[in-house]
Amino acid sequence: MLGRRGFLGLGAVAGSSLLLAACGGGSDSGVAAGGGNGGTLRWGWSEVTSWDPVTSSAGWDVHALSLTYAALTKLDEKANPVPALAESWKYDATGKQITFVLRSGLTFSDGTPLNATAVRKSLERGRDFAGSLVAAQLVDVQTITANDSARTVTLNLSNVNYQIPSLLAGKTGMIVSPTAFEKDAKGLATKPVGAGPFRLTAYVPNQSANLVRFPGYWDKANIHLDAFELYPAPEAATAIASLQSGRLDVAQIPASQVSAAKSAGLAVQIIPSLVTTVLDVNVTKAPFDNPKVVEAFKYGIDRAALAKTQTFGYGVVNYQPFPPGYVGHVPSLDNAFPYDPEKAKKLLAEAGHATGLEVPITTTGASTAIAEQVQAQLAKIGVKLTIDTIPAAQATQIMYIQHSKALAVDGFAGRDSAVQAFQVLFGEQGLMNPGRKTPPELTAALATVRKTPLDDPEYPKVLQAATKIAVETMPNIFLFTTPRILARKKNVSALGSFLAVQRFEGVRVS
Amino acid sequence: MSDTGGQLRQALRLRSARISLGILAVVIFLGFAGGLLAPHDPLAQDTAHTLSGPSGEHWLGTDYLGRDVLSRLMDATGRSIVGALEAVAVAFVIGVPAGLASVFFGRFFDWVSQRIVDSVMTMPYIIFAVSVTGVLGNGLAQAMLAIGIFLAPLLFRVTLAAALSLTRAQYVEVAELLGASRWWIIRRHVWSKVLPTIAVTTAQLAAAVLLVVSSLTFLGIGVKPPAPTWGGMLSSDLGFLSQQPWAPILPAVAIAFTAGALNAIADAIRDTTGLESVPTARGLFRRRPAYAAGPATEPDGATRAQPVAIPAQEESSHA
Repeated sequence: MLGRRGFLGLGAVAGSSLLLAACGGGSDSGVAAGGGNGGTLRWGWSEVTSWDPVTSSAGWDVHALSLTYAALTKLDEKANPVPALAESWKYDATGKQITFVLRSGLTFSDGTPLNATAVRKSLERGRDFAGSLVAAQLVDVQTITANDSARTVTLNLSNVNYQIPSLLAGKTGMIVSPTAFEKDAKGLATKPVGAGPFRLTAYVPNQSANLVRFPGYWDKANIHLDAFELYPAPEAATAIASLQSGRLDVAQIPASQVSAAKSAGLAVQIIPSLVTTVLDVNVTKAPFDNPKVVEAFKYGIDRAALAKTQTFGYGVVNYQPFPPGYVGHVPSLDNAFPYDPEKAKKLLAEAGHATGLEVPITTTGASTAIAEQVQAQLAKIGVKLTIDTIPAAQATQIMYIQHSKALAVDGFAGRDSAVQAFQVLFGEQGLMNPGRKTPPELTAALATVRKTPLDDPEYPKVLQAATKIAVETMPNIFLFTTPRILARKKNVSALGSFLAVQRFEGVRVS
Repeated sequence: MSDTGGQLRQALRLRSARISLGILAVVIFLGFAGGLLAPHDPLAQDTAHTLSGPSGEHWLGTDYLGRDVLSRLMDATGRSIVGALEAVAVAFVIGVPAGLASVFFGRFFDWVSQRIVDSVMTMPYIIFAVSVTGVLGNGLAQAMLAIGIFLAPLLFRVTLAAALSLTRAQYVEVAELLGASRWWIIRRHVWSKVLPTIAVTTAQLAAAVLLVVSSLTFLGIGVKPPAPTWGGMLSSDLGFLSQQPWAPILPAVAIAFTAGALNAIADAIRDTTGLESVPTARGLFRRRPAYAAGPATEPDGATRAQPVAIPAQEESSHA
C-alpha cells in the first residue's frame, strides 16, 4: 500500500524533485557473512516516515522498506504477483479462502523463525493495530489460521476477493517479526526487523541508514550487494553532481537532465512506472457539480503538449489510471478525450458558462509548472484558472482529509492491487475522490473484478471493463504517465525495470 | 532641517550615491512601467520554443514554458520591490513613532514598549512570516506585513538611541523651560537630528528586506503563479541548469544590483553625516545590542563635544 503523502510526492513528477535511487560503490563497511561481493550501493531516497510498514504513511517508503522486509508475494516487472516468502498460494472453490504455502527454513533478521504463526501474527497486527495504516486493506480478512508443520497460512475472507496475492506484495504483506513488535512495537519505526534482502545496522534520521546483506533472505542468490547505504535524496539540480562526485551512484533525475546526465558519462535508464499525473476534481463543488463542465475540462486540456513540455517527451499521454502494458490498461481509451477546444467551449456554453468562468486550481510548489500550463490551455476555452499554492506539509490535510478543494494537481503512484488503485482513485473513501461519490455501475464492476481470479482468462477483460466505466463516469482528469528515470554511474550494473517497486536483484557495483 | 537637507545633498554628490540612484531610478521606473514596456506578454507561453537561448526575438531567451525572460524580469520588478517597500513601510510606521514616543512620553510607555520589542525580537521572523501565509493565505502582502512587524523593533531601537541623546541637549532643555510642547520639540529639534540615522537604517533595511522577499518567493511563499517575481524566477531556473546554466544569473543580478544600490546610498548618507555604521543587513540575522546605532556625535556642531547623555530614568529602565 502506498500512503497519502506518496500521492503528493509522486505528484511532483513533471517538476523536478523526486529522486528515487542512488547506489554507490566501493566502501568496505559492514560486509555480511557470506556476502555477494557486489560492493556497497549508495542510494539517495526520501527519508522514510517509519521503518514499520504498518505505520509508514508515505507511498515512496515502500521502496526503502522493501530493502528490510520481504512480503508474502512480490510484483514482477509487469506488476503481476509472483512468489516471495510464500512459494505458492491457492484459493478454495468459493474464492473466500486463500492458503499460502511458505518456503521452508525462513528466518527473520533477528534470528527468530519466520513460520506460519509469525505470518499470522504479523498480518493480524496490520489489521488490528490501533495505529495501522494498512488496516483498511485487510478488512475483508475475517480470520487467519496458521499451520507451522505444513507451513500454511489460511486467510478466511468475508467476501470473494482474488486480489489478495497482489495486495500482499506491498506494505500490507510485509512480514514483521512478532518477537520485535511484541517486545517494542514503537521501536520498529527506527529498528526494522523483517526478512528482506538487507538488515539495518545503523540509522540516523535525516542523515543516513546503513544496511548489510541479510544471508537469511529467501532469494539471497540474487542479491549480490554486500551492503546498502541510504541517504536523503539530493536536490534535482544537484543530482548529477552527486553522481559525478561519487557521493551517490544512482539517482532519479528529472527528464530535463537526461541529456546532461548522458553527457556527464552516466548511464540513464528509462523505466516504465505507474506514476500518473492527474487532476483531482470535487463534483460537490461548483462548477464541477455540472458534469458538462468536467467534460469540457477533459476536452479542453492538451495532454500531448503537457507531456512534451513537462516531461521533455518522456511522459506518455494517458486518459486512464493505468499505463500501457499494465493489465488494466484499455487501449481503446488511448484517445478518450482528444484535445478539442471548440467542443469544450460548446460544453461550457451548454453548462451555462458561455461567457467563461473562474476556477481555483490547487497545487503544491512542485507541480506549479503543470498548473501554469493547464491555466494557459484552459484560458483558450474561457476558463480563468487561479493558481492556489498550498504548502506541501498541509497538502495531505487539505486535499485528502478536508476535501475542501474543487480542483487540484495530483499524482497517482499506483498500487500493488488494481482494486486497491480503484479504491484510492474512485472509492467513496478514496483519497483522490474528493466528491466521495461512486456510481453504482463502477462498484458493481469492481465487485466482478474481485470475484475474478488473477489467472482467469477473463480477468483482463473484467478489469478493463471497470477501467472504462471509471474513465467515463468519474471526474478525475488523467493527464500523462511518467517513467522513472534513473541515472547511474557506469560501475553499477543495470537496474531491474519494475513497474511498481524498484528492487535491486542482480545489481552489482564493480 | 536645513542642515540635514544639506548633508543629504552632500551625500548625493558622491559618485557611488549617484550611480545607485540611477539604478534605483531604473528599478522604480520598471516597477511602475515594466509590464507595459515589456517586449512580450510576460505570461504568454510558447511551448514549441521552451528554454531557448537569447535571440533577436527573445533577447534573454525563453523559460520552461516558452515565456520571454526579459519581459518576465521587467514585469517582476514592481512585484519584487513593492513587497520590500510594504515591509519597510510597516516597520517604519510602527518603529519610528514608537521609538520617539518611548523617549518623550514617560517611563511607563518606554517600559512597556521595550518589553514588547524584546519579546518580538526573540521570534524567528522568516519562520513566522511563512506561518502567517499558512494561516492567512499565501500572499506577499500577508508575508510582508508579518516581516514589517518583526523588523519594527530595529527601527524602534535605532530611533530611540538617536533621540535619547537629544533629551539633555541644552536647546531642548531651554525649549522645555520656555514651555514648548513635546510635539513642538520633536518636530523642531529632534526629528531633523534623527532623520539621517533613520534614513541610513531604512535604506539598509530596504535592501535586506528585498533579499527576504526574494528568499520567500524563491521558496514559493507569497507568489501567485504565473506572476513572475525575481526570487520565483531564480527558483524555477535552478531546475533547468543543464539547459540554461546562465539563466539564474539574470534575476540574481537584478536582486543584487537593487540591494547593492540601497546599501550604497545608506553608506553615502552615513559617510557624509558622520554616523556610525548600521549593519542592518547582517543585523537581521544577528541580535543587535540596544542603542548600538546611536550617533557618535551630535550632528549639531554646538553639542558635538558632549558625551551621549542617557537620562537617569532611562538608565534605570534599561538596567
